[in-house]
Amino acid sequence: MNAQDPEHYSFIDAAQRALGDPAAVAQRDMLARVTPQLRERAVAGFGEFEALRQHLRRVRQHTLDNLDYYLPRFELEATHNGNRVHYAETARDLNGIVLDICREHGARRVAKGKSMVTEETELTASLEREGLHVVETDLGEYIVQLAGEKPAHIVGPARHKSIAQIRELFLAAHKLGERKLERAEDLVAEARQVMREHFLGAEVGIIGANALIAENGYSMLVTNEGNGDLCASLPKVLIVCTTLDRLLPRATDAAALQRLLVRSATGQDQTCYTSFYSGPRRAADADGPLETHIVLLDNHRSDILDSDYRDMLQCIRCGACLNHCPIFAAAGGHAYGSVYPGPMGSVLAPLLDSLETYAELPNACTSCGRCEEVCPAAIPLPDLLRDLRHDQQRAGITPQRWRRGMRLHAWLAGQPRLYHWLTARGIGLLNWLGRRRGAFRRLPFAGGWTGERDFPAPQRGTFMQQYRALQREVPDDE
Amino acid sequence: MSDDSRRRILARIRGIGGGRDAASIERELAALGAAPGAPAPDEDPVTSFMCNVLRNHGSVDIAADRRAAVEAVGRYLYRELRSHRLVAGNDPHLAAMPWRDGGVLPRFGTLENGEQAALSYAPWGIAETGATVLVTGRYSPSSNHLLPVHHLVLVESANILPDLEAFWQRSELPRGKRPRGISFVAGPSSTGDIEAKLVYGAHGPQAWHVIVMGEVAPDALQRANELAGRAAQSIPQDA
Ligand code: SF4
Repeated sequence: MNAQDPEHYSFIDAAQRALGDPAAVAQRDMLARVTPQLRERAVAGFGEFEALRQHLRRVRQHTLDNLDYYLPRFELEATHNGNRVHYAETARDLNGIVLDICREHGARRVAKGKSMVTEETELTASLEREGLHVVETDLGEYIVQLAGEKPAHIVGPARHKSIAQIRELFLAAHKLGERKLERAEDLVAEARQVMREHFLGAEVGIIGANALIAENGYSMLVTNEGNGDLCASLPKVLIVCTTLDRLLPRATDAAALQRLLVRSATGQDQTCYTSFYSGPRRAADADGPLETHIVLLDNHRSDILDSDYRDMLQCIRCGACLNHCPIFAAAGGHAYGSVYPGPMGSVLAPLLDSLETYAELPNACTSCGRCEEVCPAAIPLPDLLRDLRHDQQRAGITPQRWRRGMRLHAWLAGQPRLYHWLTARGIGLLNWLGRRRGAFRRLPFAGGWTGERDFPAPQRGTFMQQYRALQREVPDDE
Repeated sequence: MSDDSRRRILARIRGIGGGRDAASIERELAALGAAPGAPAPDEDPVTSFMCNVLRNHGSVDIAADRRAAVEAVGRYLYRELRSHRLVAGNDPHLAAMPWRDGGVLPRFGTLENGEQAALSYAPWGIAETGATVLVTGRYSPSSNHLLPVHHLVLVESANILPDLEAFWQRSELPRGKRPRGISFVAGPSSTGDIEAKLVYGAHGPQAWHVIVMGEVAPDALQRANELAGRAAQSIPQDA
């Protein structure tokens, strides 16, 4: 799915490195504070957000349950609209289809809008290997393209970059002579100037889709910059790269999605551009592409549809779970090693690739449950992560040490008397040993914890001891 | 490759799907009901629309008739650009305006790179989102709303719809009659990609000016301004 080298990839190591950069840590802390506030305000302003969430969940569930009806229907309408619809089983297939279209038109320059699907297939690198000049036109994507990096966040790809880092990238990449580039406005103006030339010269435009509408064959694109619309309107060929799970039955369902997505993703009530594209320019149109293609990628999505992880196909790629995840805030997006980071990525990456490659991701979770709480698609992310851990355990992927530990714990939990006796002794001992400092700097078998922070000494007895004591104190009302 | 892939993917999907008949699927879908919409800032849809345009960082003017609309365009161009030049799509609604009365010199056609201001006619406005709906076609090139520095939009107050559903329900889009593009434009192009700082004019317009033409309640614009004053900003990034 990604340039990840499974042999050498380690989430723990990558997260450790990410924590070693204080400026980046401060930037992530700021975002982890601000982005939930923005969402919270937009959700509160909407009022019936929960009803909207549940409504769309039912509609999407219905769509996935009847994909055998809606997918051919979309294909039929989109074909009537003048598109060529292609199916790609794998990432490689999608890249091949896009390359063939570019070659057919003798294209040399491609203007690309933001699309997580093409990140998943590594389309840009694949086209560049064949000699095409591909420019990512979303400003965040453009910045990470110049830096030779992957996006760190599915909605804000360059959120991890400081203004100073972006200035350096621009000064090196754009040969525009002496200039200051001190403010964000200067950088945006320069990107606009450079990108405008590219838009006007590109022969092929590539965009993604936030939804595909079965009843009329339109695809929906939600942006703020308007770059996707330029990609969809100026080059003579347009290719929409998307996946089967973007389908919705009706345009009014796309309206519901629009409400849910924008508030969850950026905390806005409305993005600047919400566009619906049906196909190539009509006979009398003043402008627009002459030819349009829609490439539908499967890449294991039909397997997910047929599995217990089907709920994951409801994801609308809003990024709210990333913004609310303490692990994501600490480790940053790149640590995940997948184009899909955070809670949604920890579920999706193993499903789209393999449990072995991304073995650590389902464990990169504190089970705090914030992701499920804020997920506009109401995906039970912590449950799915736990199920993946079970699968790993069953498949023998979990390290032997952990498996032994878990077996021991499972056995002990099955012996309540012994369990209570042992935990009471353990807690009592810790209580006594930590009575002076109230915390431990070092503890046997807990080096992973005490290496980074103190371990607080338990204040009283075990949960059961406290529970019984309370029961004795509080008289029963009934 | 694609044909075989198509066959295999559709076969897999059919194998998983319920294989139900269309009528029962449509019935089940209809029974799911409608989605709730966003609360309107005001009872009057035109006031709500103008309030949301302002919240979307647009500016608003009102004009009782075509002549007043032309004057409003002229005022804006002079104020912002010290110019009277403008590009407008060949839309009959725009071509029939008394341009000379406002001292505006429109060029009808598609915006060329370097031209600063363009005017579009929006057949609809959406009160819920403060969006103007632009439909591509013979008379409305998409370049005119995507490329200028200043984008002006004319919308008639009678064409302001309460919400997104009202637009979709009203627009019959039978085969062969579907425009290439339907764009809900709700603000100047913006980005928050650099340190989450909101900057306008990312790729498209830096300024978005909406002129509401026709009957508008006397205090509607003032009220819209007051209501919008309470709204705060947020970070836009591409969703
Ligand atoms: S899992 Fe939910 S919260 Fe996370 S990106 Fe998907 S829809 Fe958004």
